[in-house]
Amino acid sequence: MVDVSQHELVPDHTVLDDPEEVEAVLEEYNVNKTNLPKIKRTDPALRETEAETGDVVRIERDSRTADRAVVYRLVVE
Amino acid sequence: MALDSPKELGAIQFGLMDPETYRDMSATKVITADTYDDDGYPIDMGLMDPRLGVIDPGLECRTCGQHSGSCNGHFGHIELAAPVIHVGFTKLIRRLLRATCRECGRLSLTDEEKEEFSEKLERAKELGEDPNDVLKAAIRQARKAGRCPYCIDQSTGEPTKQHDIKHEKPTTYYEVQDVLSGEYSELIASAMQPDPDDEDDPGMAPQELAEKTDIPLDRINQILSGEFRPKADDRKAIERALDIDLTEEDMNKLMPSDIRDWFEDIPDEDIEAIGIDAERSRPEWMILTVLPVPPVTARPSITLDNGQRSEDDLTHKLVDIIRINQRFMENREAGAPQLIIEDLWELLQYHVTTFIDNEISGTPPARHRSGRPLKTLSQRLKGKEGRFRGSLSGKRVNFSARTVISPDPTLSLNEVGVPRRVATEMTQTMNVTERNLDRARRFVSNGPEGHPGANYVKRPDGRRLKVTEKNCEELAEKVEEEWEVNRHLIDGDIVIFNRQPSLHRMSIMAHEVVVMPYKTFRLNTTVCPPYNADFDGDEMNMHALQNEEARAEARVLMRVQEQILSPRFGENIIGAIQDHISGTYLLTHENPQFSETQALDLLRATSVDTLPEPNGETETGDPYWTGRALFSELLPDDLSLEFTSSAGDDVVIEDGQHLEGTIDEDAVGAFGGEIVDTITKVYGETRARIFINEIASLAMRSIMHFGFSLGIDDESIPEEANEMVDEAIENAYEQIQELIETYAAGELESLPGRTVDETLEMKIMQRLGKARDSAGEIAEDHFGDDNPAVIMARSGARGSMLNLTQMAGCVGQQAVRGERINRGYEDRTLSHFRPNDLSAEAHGFVENSYRGGLTPKEFFFHAMGGREGLVDTAVRTSKSGYLQRRLINALSELEAQYDGTVRDTSGTIVQFEFGEDGTSPVKVSSNVENEIDVGSIADRVIDNEFTSEEEKARFLGTQEPPTNLSEYAGPGLNKAGTQEVESDD
Repeated sequence: MVDVSQHELVPDHTVLDDPEEVEAVLEEYNVNKTNLPKIKRTDPALRETEAETGDVVRIERDSRTADRAVVYRLVVE
Repeated sequence: MALDSPKELGAIQFGLMDPETYRDMSATKVITADTYDDDGYPIDMGLMDPRLGVIDPGLECRTCGQHSGSCNGHFGHIELAAPVIHVGFTKLIRRLLRATCRECGRLSLTDEEKEEFSEKLERAKELGEDPNDVLKAAIRQARKAGRCPYCIDQSTGEPTKQHDIKHEKPTTYYEVQDVLSGEYSELIASAMQPDPDDEDDPGMAPQELAEKTDIPLDRINQILSGEFRPKADDRKAIERALDIDLTEEDMNKLMPSDIRDWFEDIPDEDIEAIGIDAERSRPEWMILTVLPVPPVTARPSITLDNGQRSEDDLTHKLVDIIRINQRFMENREAGAPQLIIEDLWELLQYHVTTFIDNEISGTPPARHRSGRPLKTLSQRLKGKEGRFRGSLSGKRVNFSARTVISPDPTLSLNEVGVPRRVATEMTQTMNVTERNLDRARRFVSNGPEGHPGANYVKRPDGRRLKVTEKNCEELAEKVEEEWEVNRHLIDGDIVIFNRQPSLHRMSIMAHEVVVMPYKTFRLNTTVCPPYNADFDGDEMNMHALQNEEARAEARVLMRVQEQILSPRFGENIIGAIQDHISGTYLLTHENPQFSETQALDLLRATSVDTLPEPNGETETGDPYWTGRALFSELLPDDLSLEFTSSAGDDVVIEDGQHLEGTIDEDAVGAFGGEIVDTITKVYGETRARIFINEIASLAMRSIMHFGFSLGIDDESIPEEANEMVDEAIENAYEQIQELIETYAAGELESLPGRTVDETLEMKIMQRLGKARDSAGEIAEDHFGDDNPAVIMARSGARGSMLNLTQMAGCVGQQAVRGERINRGYEDRTLSHFRPNDLSAEAHGFVENSYRGGLTPKEFFFHAMGGREGLVDTAVRTSKSGYLQRRLINALSELEAQYDGTVRDTSGTIVQFEFGEDGTSPVKVSSNVENEIDVGSIADRVIDNEFTSEEEKARFLGTQEPPTNLSEYAGPGLNKAGTQEVESDD
């Protein structure tokens, strides 16, 4: 099967392994995990990573306005 | 009542209501269907019982003792003779029937599954997902069970079998059961007969069957003769022995009372597992046994002119319900047959259903005697005119006015001309103080009819007095401090102005009032684009603001000049339009020369009152000024700008002097005029407002100086040009004829991915398009550059070269659905052509120009194309309106937070940084070439702020101020003891 994460239009998805890192993100935006945008565990872009439900994923994508944009998503069922 | 101050709501909870609660809160039981007796008095325990509230003024409520107006009314109740289903819950009822056991009422889920769904519910709540989805999933899971995991069927000794539930809309439920077929004896007998096709099958004798099934022989014989219906065990034994199926599906109707009993058995913890709060919503409450009767105030009767009373639709419906309810009871007591009882039950169900919702599919709506469908509970709430969208979100408002709009180029774009009639009707509240006492008295003494006058005054004790022509003089003297005076609108007041449809935020802007005679609102033509207004009869609304906070907000945030830049595309939406653009074009295109008188006249409506150095002298020795020099007078002194207009003209502005290029739509127009855009972003909204106002004035003066008109002769071209056009079209016709011939000979090669027919059509279309274009070119060549239509098209003021081509050269191919016209008769478009004629004229090519006039056939084809356009726009507006509504509903709760994120009301992050770069689209440059030079803006601001180099250096931190100065060395303090501060205004 095609690994979409290699496609140029699919931005980099990395799982935040370090709980402290996750904590820092939540701290920065002053939110609960559940208030982050969501991504399905079955999302094709996550296939290569070993994301579990409840993990937080960092997505770095090209942006038309800011060149590079970083967003975080909570992995859900 | 203590409803004056807004209250904060902690939470709202929705649930079902317990029938006991209905009874408790009921003011009376309603038993008679009649409303008033012969004397016109409401009947006790009738639908208009005085205990349900009062509507007639002067009467006293029998429940609360208040009068009409202060009594909100009280609910009554009807005891239903038999339970009926509440239509609003039919789906949930169906789901619960399917998910729970018919015997014990327990949810057909194991404890682990229940646990799992409880968790999922928790998760859904946390993530802000729809708990309904979890419920649906749980029901699906429970339905799969087939047998109850908790109870044992006494007759079989197996777990209870769950039957399928069939729901017949709207309110009938069946249980699909397997029962013994009515033809069981015939089925058994035929199975015992030997098979005629199979010689080995000897059939089966009754004795043999009796042995195999352990049923006594005489019982077998009785069964075979149809005298005895075998019990379930025996049936199964026979089925096994004979390998047949003796059952058929039977639909067992579930009466509402059965469903109620069923639901009563469902344990609390089971429904809580699927997200229903048993404390507030027991499922059996979805089956009504008591019907609440809305208070009379919710269904007032009206007295017609002839003294007859006309009842509300809800009252009519309640009458029906009570009548049927009574008939039902009487029949049941009289011991009527089951069939009749069931019919009445169904009728009662129908009436209660339509009382709640009269637009249920599958049920004929209850109608008034006149045939009009009744407007019952759900209809009162639903839709655009319903309670939510019509009465709560949208109300009619005071202090608003609406009239036709017309243009007034002498107004500033911030202003609106308000008719005197409107100004004297709409008021602003003045709090009278020491400082405005005289003014307030003058307003009052002018009375309600003089302008500026006053309509009401309010004394400190709260009494409101109307100012009349008679008492105004007298009243004016009484006015003291702390009174309130409702004075008329006067020049300079701020009001809100709006044109529907309000599609973007610039559809509602704040304007300053200019009171004017006559009856229309007047506005500067440059604000037409944001409102999308014209003056062909458009009307607009005006709202007078009623408190200082609103007025201040409107002035700071909503004034027209604050809306010059559109957040949609980040450029100006307000700017020169139409004649303004023609005007600046005429003024700057050939850079004409003006005498002193002419130059002063052009600038007379602007703030420029001295002319610059003349640009030169004419042959007679008189000084002259060029158009560009006059235009430059309006520009900021240090503006430097270079850009290429879409006409390909390089415009150069250096130090506020327009040196080269033509000022057209791309320079000063609305929707991204480069100069307006730059001035707004670099010099601020106020400078931009001044610039736009003055450009409009100068342009109007200039277009009047040159004179600008357009007639039919401006579109005529010389005879030889006409001949050239004809020749070009003739050429095209010949080539098309050739194409058709190749096609007829079968030699036309098809383009990739198309059939030969399509290829031919395409090629013909292409050729005809080219023919029109060349006709256009020929026509264009013969128009002078001073042709008004050409000026308008080139400057971008109005119209295009295509419009010109069609007026002077050739209208071209008419199309319906993107193809040549192919409809009408069989194999031809009109009966004037031969069948299967593929030529241009037979398929809607209009070779004439609008000026030359169309032939009847051309005219018809043109109308076909034109009609399609009209239909398209009509469809598009309605479609886009709905799309917009949905989009706005979806986005309305999103908000950019102070930390730069965009979140919805529940705090969920939608964007981590607004637009990913955290920038407002109106604060950035429109394109890369014209980047905003922030440094130069800062320099300018600082230069203006400080008079001395020293202070400037100190402010910038390049020079440290001396510290610990002796009192004698530093600047002295003034008497007030504060450092003198100069106003920065």
